[in-house]
Amino acid sequence: MAKKILIIDDDPIIVKYLTAVLEDNGYTTCSATTGAAALEVVKREKPDLITLDLEMPEEWGPHFYRRMTKDPELQDIPVIVISGMAGRHAIKKAVAYLSKPFDPDKLLLTVQRAIGLPD
Amino acid sequence: MKPKLLLVDDEEGIRKVLGISLADSGYTVLSAENGEEALRIFESQQPDIVLTDIKMPGMDGITLLRRIKQQNPETEVIMITGHGDMELAIKSLQYDATDFVTKPISDDALEKSLQKARERILIRRKLKEYTENLESLVHEKSARLQAVAKSPASQASGAQQPPDPSRYHKIFDDMPCYITVRDRQYHLTAANKLFRQDFGEPGGSCCYELCKQAAAPCEDCPADKTFHSGCPQQTEMVFKTQTGASFNTLVWTTPVRDAHGEITHVLVMATNITQLSQLQDHLASLGLMIGSVSHAIKGMLTGLDGGMYLIDAGFAHEDQAQVQEGWEVVKLMVGRIRGMVLDILYQAKERAVVRTPVDLAVFAEELTSLIAPKMKRHGIRLAQEFAPGVGRFELDAGQVQAALVNILENAVDACIEDRQKTEHRVVFRVRREPQQVVFEVEDNGIGMDADTRAGIFTLFASSKADKGTGLGLFVAAKIVHQHGGEITVASAPGEGSCFTVRLPAVGAEPGGFPHTTPEDQEA
Repeated sequence: MAKKILIIDDDPIIVKYLTAVLEDNGYTTCSATTGAAALEVVKREKPDLITLDLEMPEEWGPHFYRRMTKDPELQDIPVIVISGMAGRHAIKKAVAYLSKPFDPDKLLLTVQRAIGLPD
Repeated sequence: MKPKLLLVDDEEGIRKVLGISLADSGYTVLSAENGEEALRIFESQQPDIVLTDIKMPGMDGITLLRRIKQQNPETEVIMITGHGDMELAIKSLQYDATDFVTKPISDDALEKSLQKARERILIRRKLKEYTENLESLVHEKSARLQAVAKSPASQASGAQQPPDPSRYHKIFDDMPCYITVRDRQYHLTAANKLFRQDFGEPGGSCCYELCKQAAAPCEDCPADKTFHSGCPQQTEMVFKTQTGASFNTLVWTTPVRDAHGEITHVLVMATNITQLSQLQDHLASLGLMIGSVSHAIKGMLTGLDGGMYLIDAGFAHEDQAQVQEGWEVVKLMVGRIRGMVLDILYQAKERAVVRTPVDLAVFAEELTSLIAPKMKRHGIRLAQEFAPGVGRFELDAGQVQAALVNILENAVDACIEDRQKTEHRVVFRVRREPQQVVFEVEDNGIGMDADTRAGIFTLFASSKADKGTGLGLFVAAKIVHQHGGEITVASAPGEGSCFTVRLPAVGAEPGGFPHTTPEDQEA
């Protein structure tokens, strides 16, 4: 089964973009535009990897991350931060940090390093 | 008077022998067998000379020396050391012992040390006398000088003119800042020309009435602090004139004392620093803007990348729908970028307000036509409530339109953000009131909490994350203020917001400050 990636970003256009890049390369995706919705999706879909925006209006990315990692079942899911913010250390355990605008090839390489090829 | 000497040694024999010989030499001898007892006697008797053994059980001689020097540095302390205690002896000199004598004590050596101590006491006493004499001499001489100055002969000679009070009064009056004198009851007892000119005659009014148009004293009154502490104070305050103009001032206060040194009044000096404060605000907001704009640009570039990716992929898969989707994204992003650039231009470039008579009904109609397509796309209903016969009004149509479009856009975004309600509407009202026109934009979108509401016009904080630059409402408020008007907002989270813009008719705006005039623009 193809590896699943959860995309969290409050901008639907960026969600669409990330979805297209990842699915075109064989990964399956799911998405959420708020931290609250994201937690539901994580529990339901058990993704192999999460891409997370930092600045979201309803819940700040690192805050969502703290909530998620309180659950022992979810705390080891690798996270790639994709943000326009300079807060490189906002999530210390993030496996990588990509600055917006990001290079799609670099994104794919980073995903591959974290969880390997899609299948 | 016999000099008082305190002898400290733990050996009773030494105390006895030395005590007799010192009494014979003319000293009043007190004795103690340890450091603690010595300190007690020292405190009650204040001897001129202390003669102490260095090595004693309990408090040793060095500690005693230090404690005595702390209490009275002028005490002469002579140390008695054992043979070969050179290190301790030197240490005692470092702590300002007068001298040291070694055991067994020879009469000669002890007498030399005591002589040294007596000489030091004598010198110190003489020095004190001289100083006191000098002081009384100065008093005497200055009294004579004053007497000479007051004598009619010296006035006639013109050598020393007494100060002319009217000259000081003129300096006080002509100072290029606001100067007032205030008593403890907040009454202004004097004010200089500039103050009287801008704030009116004091005439027994209270400072807060004239300077702030307030009914009660300011909470953090610097003059009150000066009355209390007697120290000068410095602070920043906002002053408000009778015409309603307000400006930032830097305020200094200093106490005015009577002949008995009592503080009877406080002198308050204030200088207008509005331009400086505006510059500070401008710089701070520029810094914030750069941060906010760069973040917004990163988001938009990512969106553009996304659009281009979708177009590329669509062409590669020969998927017309995906190409179309990508193209929509690109158009949206270009629109966002255009909006932001216009906002930045408004922020960066001060524009003169050029008023022309405008038919308000036509103006409002045009305005809504700009926002209507976006509302239609999102299924938001637009209700126009234009009061009949609103007529014509003088305003800068281009600028006021930009301000109101920003507010309307904001209302639409607030509706789009809201996912609770199924139907959304924006109401746009225009009505005339005496001497002013009122625009209202009401939405039933997400609304704002008190914190968000407090910052919307001043800070570049956007509550719209990647979609907002945090500029729109700031620009709107700026334009409204340049028209001498005011912008207010009422809002509740989950229920919606209502923005009210009031623009005064020409000649009706309060104060005349700090509106921008065309002259300012060219500077």
